[in-house]
Amino acid sequence: MSELSTLLPILWGGFCTTLAIFGLTLLFSIPLGLLIAVLKMSNWRVVRYPVSFYISVMRGTPLLLQIVAIYFGSYYLSEYAGVDFSFDRFPAVIVAFSINYAAYFAEIFRGGIQSISKGQYEAAYMLGMTRTQTFFRIILPQVVKRVVPASANEVITLVKDTSLAQVIAVTELFALAKKQQAAYASIYPLFVAGVFYYVANLLLSVFFAYVERKLNYYK
Amino acid sequence: MENVNESAPILKVEHVKKSFGDLHVLKDISFDLKAGEVLSIIGPSGSGKSTLLRCLTQLETVDGGLVQVDGKDMVVPNDSAKGPAVKYAPAKMLREIRLSTGLVFQNFNLFPHLTVLQNLCLAPVRVLGDGRKEARAMGRFLLKRMGLEGKENAYPCELSGGQQQRVSIARALAMNPKILFFDEPTSALDPELTGEVLKIIKKLAEDKMTMVIVTHEMAFARDVADKVIFMDGGVIVEQGTPDHVFRESGNERLAQFLSRFTNT
Ligand SMILES: Nc1ncnc2c1ncn2[C@@H]1O[C@H](COP(=O)(O)OP(=O)(O)O)[C@@H](O)[C@H]1O
Ligand SMILES: [Mg+2]
Repeated sequence: MSELSTLLPILWGGFCTTLAIFGLTLLFSIPLGLLIAVLKMSNWRVVRYPVSFYISVMRGTPLLLQIVAIYFGSYYLSEYAGVDFSFDRFPAVIVAFSINYAAYFAEIFRGGIQSISKGQYEAAYMLGMTRTQTFFRIILPQVVKRVVPASANEVITLVKDTSLAQVIAVTELFALAKKQQAAYASIYPLFVAGVFYYVANLLLSVFFAYVERKLNYYK
Repeated sequence: MENVNESAPILKVEHVKKSFGDLHVLKDISFDLKAGEVLSIIGPSGSGKSTLLRCLTQLETVDGGLVQVDGKDMVVPNDSAKGPAVKYAPAKMLREIRLSTGLVFQNFNLFPHLTVLQNLCLAPVRVLGDGRKEARAMGRFLLKRMGLEGKENAYPCELSGGQQQRVSIARALAMNPKILFFDEPTSALDPELTGEVLKIIKKLAEDKMTMVIVTHEMAFARDVADKVIFMDGGVIVEQGTPDHVFRESGNERLAQFLSRFTNT
């Protein structure tokens, strides 16, 4: 059991990095996703087409590759341009995760927005509400309810995806567990890391079940 | 000399045309309505009744003709040879006109995430800038008038169709419109629930609310209306007093249409 008392603080440190990636990604990707969803429904092709392309690239290539591309890409581009705008490891991970998850959230939000009936817009219009008022007071609250289940899936996937950050040597939970595995010559550290992920997602599931129940005050 | 304000129509529609692509839905619609009058519009489905209401409430734009609401030009024919056939008023005026017209939808279109009282208060507070307190008081007063006391905190999904439609009438009335339009307000209701909605509309008519009502309830149309329009194929085939339209008109299409309702 003495193993555990030295292992836990180490893994806990990694878990905090994991949580930071998780939290910051949600913080940036959800508003960005909403913006992208709205842009993708634009009447203007010059807006719609690039946004569609962006979404298809984000969803059509591995996140792993995107992390590497942001990190090394920004580095090489800086060299080439002679101006340093390269990302450090951690910010590169946050940027890559945020723009990737924003694309997935955008598609979920767009589906939610488009599932609201035309009648809701017409009723608001007849009452003299502006487009902004209609969106934020009528449409968005209903969209939130509809997108919670699909978004919950993404959030739970994100917890597990954070382990991809190790590809550019960000020492999150999984990277540290692997290091300990080598040190202990046992899979025990990996098992403990697995418990961390599992418990985190268990708590998230409970949270989302609660939110869904809370939003069930109307049909 | 007549008082101009009293005799001027509150709604004036002249030669209104509307097409969807090649489909000419409204061909040449003209009528007018005075304040306090009730107009019933009847006609087979597909004859353009909803499209007409949607044009008058700005949910659709017309392709030709003139619409005047409460003395304000909403859309007028474009005199110049170039450009579109009609000229709409500036956005600000259109909004002002829109605020003076209310629409009750066939399928209510209540806001499902808001309580009954929130449905009624949202626009008065956010659009008209009424105080929260007075809006709530007005909302409660309207609910009482609709026979919906005690329902203010219910959500629309907890109400019957008839109750929902009465809430949506109250929501429109909360904006204090000059003209209230109804598009088949009872068509989405179970037959046993139509009565409660029609009764409310009848009460509004007694209170001299100016209304335009598209309906398939012939007895109701005859009782409540000062004026009836029979539409078919995008034109007004017959218009006049209820007596004229329902009894005296010799029009064949109208007679055929009406026979469908008496035979059942
Ligand atoms: N947005 C639209 N686009 C194309 N056709 C339409 C549209 N709205 C209505 N129509 C057509 O216009 C005709 C009249 O419809 P409508 O005004 O709904 O008639 P009513 O309300 O009398 O049943 C129908 O043939 C309908 O299919
Ligand atoms: Mg119709």
